[in-house]
Amino acid sequence: MTIADRSPRPPETSTTSVQVPPSARTADAVWRRALSGSWVPITLATLALFAVSPVIAPGSLDAAPLLSMLPFASVLAIAAAGQTLVVQQRGLDLSVPGMIALGAVMATALPQQYGWNPWAAVVAALLGTTAFGLLNGVVVGRLRIPPLVATLGMNAVLLGTVFAIANGTPSGAADELNRFALARTFGIPNTLLIAVVAIALAAVVAHRSVVGHRLSAVGVSEAAASVVGIRVGSYQVAAYGLAGLCYGAAGVLLAGYTKTPALFLGDQYLLPTVAAVVLGGTALTGGIASIAASAVAALFLTQLGQLLRSVGWPDALQLIAQAIVLILVVLLRELVPVLLRRRATRRLAAQAVSR
Amino acid sequence: MTDTESITQAEASSERARRADGPTAGPVDQPSALRLHGITKTFPGVRALSDVALDVVPGEIHALVGENGAGKSTLMAVASGALAADEGLVSIAGTVLETASPDEARRLGLGIVRQDPAVLPDLTVAENMAIGVGYRRVGGLRRAVAWAAAQLEPWGMGIDPTARVAELSVEQRFIVEIAKALALDPRVLILDEPTEHLSLEEVQLLFRRVREVVAGGAAVVYISHRIPEVKEISDRITVLRDGRVRGTFPTPEVDESQIIELVVGRKLEAVFPEKGSVAGTVGEAERLQLVGLSGAGFHEVSLAVRAGEIIGLAGVQGNGQAELVRAIAGQQPSTGEVRIDGRRVGRGGAAAAAAGVVYVPADRHREGVFLPLSVGENISAATLDEVAPAGFVRERRVLARARDMIERLSIKTPGPRVPVAALSGGNQQKVVLARTLLARPRVLVAEEPTQRVDAGARVDIYRILREAADDGAAVVVLSSDGVELEGLCDRVLILSRGEVVRELTGDEVTESAIATAALTATTVRARESVEHPSSRVRSWLRGDHAPAVALAAVFLGLGVAVAAVNPAYFSAFNLNTLLFMVAPLLFVGAAQQVVVLGSGFDLSVGPLMGFLVVLASYWIVDGGNLYVGLGLMLAGALGVGAINGLLVTRFAISPVVATLAMFMALQGLYLQLRSTPGGVIFAPVSELIQARVGVVPIVTIVGVVLLVALEFALRRTRWGVQLRAVGSQDAAAARLGIRVRLVRFGSYVVASLLVLPAAVVLMAQIGIGDGRPSISYTLSSVTVVVLAGTSIFGGRGSFIAVLAAAFLVQQILNVSPFLGLSQAWSYWLPGVVTLAAAGLYAVLRSGGRPRRRRRGAAIASPGGVA
Repeated sequence: MTIADRSPRPPETSTTSVQVPPSARTADAVWRRALSGSWVPITLATLALFAVSPVIAPGSLDAAPLLSMLPFASVLAIAAAGQTLVVQQRGLDLSVPGMIALGAVMATALPQQYGWNPWAAVVAALLGTTAFGLLNGVVVGRLRIPPLVATLGMNAVLLGTVFAIANGTPSGAADELNRFALARTFGIPNTLLIAVVAIALAAVVAHRSVVGHRLSAVGVSEAAASVVGIRVGSYQVAAYGLAGLCYGAAGVLLAGYTKTPALFLGDQYLLPTVAAVVLGGTALTGGIASIAASAVAALFLTQLGQLLRSVGWPDALQLIAQAIVLILVVLLRELVPVLLRRRATRRLAAQAVSR
Repeated sequence: MTDTESITQAEASSERARRADGPTAGPVDQPSALRLHGITKTFPGVRALSDVALDVVPGEIHALVGENGAGKSTLMAVASGALAADEGLVSIAGTVLETASPDEARRLGLGIVRQDPAVLPDLTVAENMAIGVGYRRVGGLRRAVAWAAAQLEPWGMGIDPTARVAELSVEQRFIVEIAKALALDPRVLILDEPTEHLSLEEVQLLFRRVREVVAGGAAVVYISHRIPEVKEISDRITVLRDGRVRGTFPTPEVDESQIIELVVGRKLEAVFPEKGSVAGTVGEAERLQLVGLSGAGFHEVSLAVRAGEIIGLAGVQGNGQAELVRAIAGQQPSTGEVRIDGRRVGRGGAAAAAAGVVYVPADRHREGVFLPLSVGENISAATLDEVAPAGFVRERRVLARARDMIERLSIKTPGPRVPVAALSGGNQQKVVLARTLLARPRVLVAEEPTQRVDAGARVDIYRILREAADDGAAVVVLSSDGVELEGLCDRVLILSRGEVVRELTGDEVTESAIATAALTATTVRARESVEHPSSRVRSWLRGDHAPAVALAAVFLGLGVAVAAVNPAYFSAFNLNTLLFMVAPLLFVGAAQQVVVLGSGFDLSVGPLMGFLVVLASYWIVDGGNLYVGLGLMLAGALGVGAINGLLVTRFAISPVVATLAMFMALQGLYLQLRSTPGGVIFAPVSELIQARVGVVPIVTIVGVVLLVALEFALRRTRWGVQLRAVGSQDAAAARLGIRVRLVRFGSYVVASLLVLPAAVVLMAQIGIGDGRPSISYTLSSVTVVVLAGTSIFGGRGSFIAVLAAAFLVQQILNVSPFLGLSQAWSYWLPGVVTLAAAGLYAVLRSGGRPRRRRRGAAIASPGGVA
């Protein structure tokens, strides 16, 4: 007897793949994708917020409150764009306070205490924060120090630098800068115009360009990006550098708008940038990110703050409100796919039983 | 007579064999050691097992053979309770396994040595073994080292039970796994590809042990795709193909070619395309040349591959094949030359890709595909420039190309926009190959291209590789499957100890020749355990306790240096201040350390101190109630720890995000309670806290004692071992039966409780209800932990080092006024010290074995990943 005798069985098909109905796994993946990097939920939430604002606080959509809110939303949107870039690289930038403070202090202290031309100081501020951003990138991308530790340490270094430049006292913004930040073009605040242009530019580059696609690839998986020949380290350094530029711009605008910025005015911007990124649907696991959605989320958060303030909440409670909103949104994004998956699994199980 | 017909006949004969005369089967009515009946298992898109039956009797070695993706490992996962089958029954030693539970299977007497064992790399060999077999069998943690040494002794591999598993070589780790499984005296032992990492000598040692085990009445299931080995060791052979049993045979009755035919399911020619060397499509020009290429794991490799040629690399695993392949692809540093068409290729992955090298990695999920990105984006990932005129990507072109490739390679996907994560393993691999083909490779390097790929996709993959070669690429395939190499390759090179030792060409390229050459070439591997004095120093430097010594030396040195400049530094007053100021750092550093050891992170420790101080300022005042105050502080700490823990474990929120939100919320809370400082702390309480012995404050002594106790607990208690296990590899810890979520939740609660004494000391230091001074303690706690050399990814660290680091940090903060430094330095110094320490440890530790660790480990998984 050998195993090579004949039998009537028809030839085997070469595959075991069976047609499975859209499985739980597919549904999960699709939903995760729908909820990550999508601008739809946050835009709807923002529209809803503006719709209910007049109901909660009559007059809150009048020109005056809007015009006072929009510059702060613009600053937060620009800073959140930077945080988005870092989160896309699986980082979390804890150096935002130091960066914003450095941008502000260079734009104000250099003209006032060192006699610089105000516009040269603005350029220097942007270059300075970009340089620190690149340094962050080198520390994270080349020295392989975890982003958390790197940016936390860098924040202290930045605050020390702020202190040293300011000689310990806040300076006032030069009149030119102040006027520019307060001015309106065609009735629209300059800060908003700058934010819209910057965000639009950043969003197009991030979503459409080769560079943007590669940044996303590196964020999803450094190893896989390296395999397809992407210079992973350079892209990481660039991402942190661009983030530094964003924070610097936010700091300069804030300095110009508030006239005499407190030394450590950046402290209150750390959580809001993270919240805006999370609200905007950028995945904390990296890769999938939307700068535009983060900007919309910044608008949402600022309007929410404005609304709470108008009904008499002190700033301390605002901090708590922001923290709660952040956690709720993260929970929602974590739980919705899980619930959907459970439902899909149950449905599949039911099908299996009925079969 | 067709091959399929022959197979059915074989199945019939196996039925006979099972019923009548299994060689060592004994009486038929004897209860099976392991019996699987009607097992069916479906994964999304793939039916992995259909109606599989397997009967293993006591005293036999039962081999399970099949190709990659035949379902062997899935079947054994079902048998060992790691995976629940959709249908069917598993019974072990006559008892039905009611639910899929590894613990239950183990209790019934099933031992398994997996291909990817659950290993905790940061724990010692003894600790790993103790967790694996249960503390009771070992006789408690204290006896674990002696017990482990006794278990490992027969293997004679010189494995030190106190060594960290991460420091072991691959084969040593495997021996530890086998020793662990044998220590349980299993009635059924499953060995999954046990010889993949072993040299001939070690294989013989393994075979002797396996025969001893079955002589004792146990049964062994031996999974392998090395046919000669199976012929040598087994009593019966079951062939699995496409998730179905194709027959069970007494080993003496089948020869190797028959087994191969059963495994492949038809003649090799039906699966594999015609070889280039047979068809005459191999070009003349040497497309790829390696000239004296050396790197970690291989040296002085010179070879040439012509256009249109497929060469295979084989050898016992860990002999440098994988490293060589990665070096060709520029993914690993090397010296020597890689030339393509005579032109030298620069260093790094980008240069290699630009020169036309395309790499298909083995670890598909990590390196092959971008899981959350769409099929279309994945297909164009390597050739973005071609779909992006003027630097902007045209979505329509991406989709058009994707549709074209989906059609050409018959990729089963609902469409090009679906995330690649939703595809089956085989189709994901086809996406990788689609990407590869679009890059028009001049050199295609594929590592285990058909691992975890179903059979249908495999045939396509072979065809794709062949087509790439026919289009002029030089193809290098690394595979551990000899049949695959036989069917696919024009030449096969055998590597041993990082050198090419044999070359098989033409008719020599057969499965058995490859296996024999690989095994005989590798007699005794050069062991790396040779102790160089310098390597000892290095390994001590990489240990947990070296930082403590170094930090203490810097602490003392700095103190002496400053005192030389300013003698007032050693005054009793200053010493007392220094020692009192260090106390909160000790506690808060320990708190951060506990969380980080479990691979978490707690940003909220600083504001928590402030919150607790503000809470206390309402009750621990003149005329207040001390106990209510302390009770409130305790409740606050517990509550915050529990919320942090719940958010991170129950809701799987990234620890950074969860504790950052907590950071802000606590800040809001204490500002809401006390927007300006208020509530003077009752003076007698403050004084009590500041009590001292000589110049040493009592709270500081308490802190030191507490840290020493924590260090003891970390090394010698189950809590400590489990905390490190969870931090080291949470998925592996879960597989070993550790309740990952609970341990991690506990770490946040313990951390918050450790913040409590820090808050008490801070309260005495500032003397009034004010939260603001506490903020800086978050950075300080991280600085302390980083300085202490604790791995930020979890699993390793020392509380003694935290002790030393806390003293050093306070020393640094204290010296700046003595050196006349400006206030900016009080920010610069901690920041720079943190960055420098992190950088230093990163450089020191990168000298160790390469560890493939998922980045972003700070984002905790919910645990229980099987």
